[in-house]
Amino acid sequence: MPSGPATLGDFSVLPVSIPPLPSFPNKDVFHYLYVRRNTPKIPTPNDTRSLFLTNVPADSTEVHLRALFASLVGAGRFESAVFEGERKDARSQSQSPIDAATPASAARLLQAHSKKRKREDEEAERAREEAAARLPSTWTRPLRRSGSTAVVLLADKKSVEQVLKAIAKVHKTRKYPTWGGNLPEGRVPPLGSVWLKAHNRLSYPDKQALQASVDAFSLLYARREQEAAEIAKRLRNEPDEDGFVTVTRGGRAAPASRNEAEEAKRRMLEKEEKKKQELINFYRFQLRERKKAEQAELVKRFDEDRRKLEAMREKKGKFVPEA
Amino acid sequence: MDSHPGKRRKLDHARDGAEVTLESGLSTGISRSRAFVLEAEELLASVRLDYGISFEGADNLLHQIKGIVEAIKSHEPLPLLEAASKLEKKHKIRVPFPEPRPQESCNYKVAFATPAQFNVVGSYVSKTMVKTQKSRAVDMVIVLPEGILQEKDYLDLRYFYKRAYYLAVVASAVRKELGSDARLSYERLNGNPLCPVLAIQPNTSQQQEAGSSGDRGDLDYRVRIIPCAPDGFFPKSKLSLGASLVRKGREGHSDASARPTPFYNSTLVAESCFLPYLKVLRQAEKKCAAFKAACILGRIWLQQRGFGGDIAQGGFGHFEWAVLLALLLQGGESKGHAALSASLSSTQLFKALVQFLSVTNFAEKPCVFGPGKPELEAHLESGPVLYDSARKLNLAFKMGPWSAALLHQHAKWTRRLLVDSTADHFSPTFILRSDFAPHSFDLIARLSCEWASDEIDADAWGLPWQLGSKVYKILNKALADKEMGERARLIHVTTPASPPWPVTEGSKDPKTLPLEIGVLFDPVNMSRTVDRGPAAGPSAQEKEECAKFRNFWGDKAELRRFERDTIRETLVWTSKTPFDLCEEIMRYILGRHLHIGHLHNEISIYGNKLPAMLSLGPADSALFNVAKKAFDAFERDVRDLDDLPLRVRQIAPICPELRYASVNLPAFLSSKSGPRPLECIISFEASGKWPESVVAIQRTKIAFLLMIGSLLESSKPGEIKTHVGVEAAQFETENLAFLDVVYESGPSFRLRIHSDLEESLLEREVKDKTLEQYLRQRATTQLATFRRLYTNLPLHNQYISTCATRFPALSPTIRLVKHWFNAHKLSCHFTEEFIELAVLHVFLAPYPWDAPSSASTGFMRTLLFLARWDWRSEPLIIDTGGDMPAIDRTSIATRLEAWRKIDPNMNHTVLFVATAQEPSGTAWTTVKGEAKPSKVVATRMTSLAKSASRVIREQGLNLDSRRLFVPSLKEYDVVIHMNSKVLKSTLKTYAAVDPEAEAEGTENAGWAKFKNLDERTGLEPLPLAQHPAELFLEHLTAVYGGALVFFRGSVDDHTIGAIWNPQMQRRSFRINLPTSYKPVAGKKPSKDGGDEGSDDEEDLVNLNKDAILAEIARIGGDLVDRLEVKGAEV
Repeated sequence: MPSGPATLGDFSVLPVSIPPLPSFPNKDVFHYLYVRRNTPKIPTPNDTRSLFLTNVPADSTEVHLRALFASLVGAGRFESAVFEGERKDARSQSQSPIDAATPASAARLLQAHSKKRKREDEEAERAREEAAARLPSTWTRPLRRSGSTAVVLLADKKSVEQVLKAIAKVHKTRKYPTWGGNLPEGRVPPLGSVWLKAHNRLSYPDKQALQASVDAFSLLYARREQEAAEIAKRLRNEPDEDGFVTVTRGGRAAPASRNEAEEAKRRMLEKEEKKKQELINFYRFQLRERKKAEQAELVKRFDEDRRKLEAMREKKGKFVPEA
Repeated sequence: MDSHPGKRRKLDHARDGAEVTLESGLSTGISRSRAFVLEAEELLASVRLDYGISFEGADNLLHQIKGIVEAIKSHEPLPLLEAASKLEKKHKIRVPFPEPRPQESCNYKVAFATPAQFNVVGSYVSKTMVKTQKSRAVDMVIVLPEGILQEKDYLDLRYFYKRAYYLAVVASAVRKELGSDARLSYERLNGNPLCPVLAIQPNTSQQQEAGSSGDRGDLDYRVRIIPCAPDGFFPKSKLSLGASLVRKGREGHSDASARPTPFYNSTLVAESCFLPYLKVLRQAEKKCAAFKAACILGRIWLQQRGFGGDIAQGGFGHFEWAVLLALLLQGGESKGHAALSASLSSTQLFKALVQFLSVTNFAEKPCVFGPGKPELEAHLESGPVLYDSARKLNLAFKMGPWSAALLHQHAKWTRRLLVDSTADHFSPTFILRSDFAPHSFDLIARLSCEWASDEIDADAWGLPWQLGSKVYKILNKALADKEMGERARLIHVTTPASPPWPVTEGSKDPKTLPLEIGVLFDPVNMSRTVDRGPAAGPSAQEKEECAKFRNFWGDKAELRRFERDTIRETLVWTSKTPFDLCEEIMRYILGRHLHIGHLHNEISIYGNKLPAMLSLGPADSALFNVAKKAFDAFERDVRDLDDLPLRVRQIAPICPELRYASVNLPAFLSSKSGPRPLECIISFEASGKWPESVVAIQRTKIAFLLMIGSLLESSKPGEIKTHVGVEAAQFETENLAFLDVVYESGPSFRLRIHSDLEESLLEREVKDKTLEQYLRQRATTQLATFRRLYTNLPLHNQYISTCATRFPALSPTIRLVKHWFNAHKLSCHFTEEFIELAVLHVFLAPYPWDAPSSASTGFMRTLLFLARWDWRSEPLIIDTGGDMPAIDRTSIATRLEAWRKIDPNMNHTVLFVATAQEPSGTAWTTVKGEAKPSKVVATRMTSLAKSASRVIREQGLNLDSRRLFVPSLKEYDVVIHMNSKVLKSTLKTYAAVDPEAEAEGTENAGWAKFKNLDERTGLEPLPLAQHPAELFLEHLTAVYGGALVFFRGSVDDHTIGAIWNPQMQRRSFRINLPTSYKPVAGKKPSKDGGDEGSDDEEDLVNLNKDAILAEIARIGGDLVDRLEVKGAEV
């Protein structure tokens, strides 16, 4: 039976009973979820009807949580769940291909001078393109990092209260919800060997689909590149708000490739180096300085050896032949 | 000064050449040798013995003994045997007569008189003993008075009988006077059966000492009383090496008289040379200040190589070293000039002597000191010759030809080390022990001597020695024949040492102990199965040679015809591996000539058990070559594609199967699993067409792969199938896909595309200061991954394969060491490349030995290296090209120091392995920005290697090598047992079969019933993107990385060990917990009994172990059979 407080700080503790498995037949195993109202640093309109969960089990899915909340407050209250790493602003999330598709040189220009594109239809368009360019996932079901968090969106504000009350009640009635209890049949892909096999199969997606995704991406990329070029061209002639003209690379025709610029720089450095080489040992002071440097080097090395010896001496046994 | 400016300038120019040499010295060797000098000085200081403490009371004891001996009453001559039995009756002291014992019929008499002279000799007077010596002896010689000897005593052991009697009288007196103060025993001087000496060990004083000064306990010396002949008493001209001085055989036969008795003669000369050599050494000490220190260095060098003055230890000890050095200081050149200058320093003298020993092989050519050129060639037959013509003594008389060869070899190895400007000179020379036979020899045989006939040679070197010498001669001819190509580089025989025995008993015969024979292979020649002997021609000379050959090899020799119509005597052996060949030859030839091996327990052979662990066979390299050929064919197929938009520059293999280094042999067409493709990378000619964005490059690569795939399929329809796989990438900027090419005939390959633009883009991102920190960090790890995959791995593959052909033993050694890592469940924490490099290091810097020539020596030395490697402060530098400048080495060491300063807890960088191509040092030990292995695991590796090395040394030849590969599961907190059947089923997946549907299908049981109805029959399984067991472990590590450390061996290992991270225990609650925690019970003390008074604080949480294990069970599903928890506590 779980023991311990019903609350930890402003979190309510929700013990969840874990059913035994043949490979780990321990009974009386409990997992503890910590639940509180969601209060993110940057508030969103949905905060009042969402809950913040931490220490979610590693095999959690939305279906699992839905079943859990259904057992607490009945069906129909649970709307969705967003797990750690899935939230939109999270840095760990994989970059969306549409952002990544922007050519590096253009990214900064776009950032600085992008128009406010916040219209609804553009958003939808973007989502569609993103989906087309994204590679297929190779897992039927992801695992969560142990001890990670999730945000659960409920139907309304009242449901939040009810859930918290139900959790408090659980401690009194000692009727703990069961993890993975009354899951709908077939909604959750199994783990174990099937899961691994499915992964192997998904790792080799259909060639046509793959080709289509690549094509979608290249289309997008080409468009972005063109846009960027246009912006760059425009910016070259237009003073900004403060009256400055942005300096962009390249001649009149097109911005120069960064590679070419680097190549040119390397050549220049090489030339300089060669010039320098020719003058080595030309003056007497150079010889003298070289000799001085060599002597200093010798002294330095000697000191280094000394120091190393000191260090060896500190570690006992270095100077005693092995018996 | 400035009056001749012109001259000065000229001088400057003239010095330019010298400067150049100085500079080159700087960059290569000078620093090393200076470090060597400093280290050697430090060594001398730390091994120096405090004589006042260690030999407390020795001088008193010596005086006391002198007094006792002087007080012995002399007596008139008595017949020998009568005197001996009288002594035994009266004092219960046996006379230690050498074998053969005097006959009843001998009629000469022995007497006793006060010794002519007492003297203390040896390293006690010269103060050259060291702390690490096994036993310390104070040698006191007593010179027999001339009155009791006769000139003809040099014949037939008469002198030695008299000497033995004299010693027994002294022993009786000493025992009477000293009583229980000392323990007395006889021992043989340097194991020489002719020369027993009396050892007196102070008894009570030691106990007192131990009582007073507790831990010192090194008052462990003994005084040896050595009777000897007066200088010049016996005419040395009659004692020459060729003389035959033992004329009466044991049974009185005189037929032995024809044989010369070099050992006997030299012993007799040595008997009268104690004082002359004392003088020589004294002079050298006076003349050369560093002489003593050089002797100490020599003593340590010899001691670490197992050499000593004892016959069983090779007969070349500190005394021989010192005398040789003294002679070289006196004059060693042919014109009488000193070979070495007295003003040299101790390390210089040491190096010079090592050099001398490495160039003079006195087993093959006599080496003579001093004036005169005696004819000594003939005596080489009986042993090596190192002749001091001033004292007419063969200094090497106690050495067998094998020990001279071994000494020569060791000197050569040490010399090679000392001229290698890059290696660490000091510790292989003085610190490491290299006398352990399994580390040095590829095959060791034990030969019991019990069978040997009692037929004793006239000469007196004892039975084991005689036998050893016979065996050596036969084996040397059989295995090291220059005409046929030397199979063995070195053959060594170890004779058993003779232990001391009590004065009341006769000496024990060491006959029961076996001889040990060590063979060092020439790996190329040893694997030869057909030996070509002399050509069978018509000429008399050829006929004679053939007859000799047949005589030696017996029935094994047969005539065979070879190319160009030559007919030769031939030996054909049936074994395949070098080891088995050597064993076959040894058994055959010893059986033929010595009738050994007819009873099976006479010879036992060791050294092959380790390779048998993996059933390494001679056909292995052929299988690797098959894989290599398949790869070549694949490369050709890709290069032949015409429609590729870019030209292929290179296709490089990057997997262990294609560099002779995988534990399992590359196998195609396995029915048990989908194809496991061999990894390669492909790079194209430089092109400006790559898009200027890493993400876009990755997508372009996919398009490229799709194109290569379809082109390959259409170029060889039906033969090739291709699959494009999606990589488990976290970010869009990582490599996203690979192409698996599966040949119908079996081989399969995985191709990844290298784009050089990607590297420069990543580099730019790393350097871009305007980017956010986390992006730069990510770019840094990606760049490291990129370089490992596309730059380092192809190079690594290349030089491991090159080295595998250069060192035949490398490939089996690597596989054996990997097997060891697997067995101890370490390999999931190490990159295979690291293990390969560690083994390669043992081959490239093998000091103090040569590169290993068999898998078992290579394996044991690798373990020794891993056990000794102090990775906290030393980088592992592998000089693959053999020409890494010292500057690079120091910069690598500096880099390690810098890492340790930044990261003293070693969270990011633990092992540091640098090569010439990869000087950053972390390519093989850091994966995705994390240390692989972590500090904990690296420590575990070291301790495992240490205990393995200890077991190897303790068990010696009786080692059961399986013991080295048994993991102890007890140490793990949790052991996850996987279901092997289920695991096997995961190895096969099909594009057309949905595994979930399949799982349901099997439940319905209608599926597998009829093979022909099973829709899987005839389907091609998909290749394995990654081994499922590996994936499972990766996921567990990702989910529980903080809380549990997992250990697993190879992918076929069905148990995973895990240890709870001790830092993850009870802590206060916060939002981002590192793993699953449960609240600590608020009111009552927690279950774990950890009530530290903090129970009142409510927000404490504890690790929820059960919930974590239950989660693992759920994730594993049917894959996990059972979770075994240590102690089985709930």
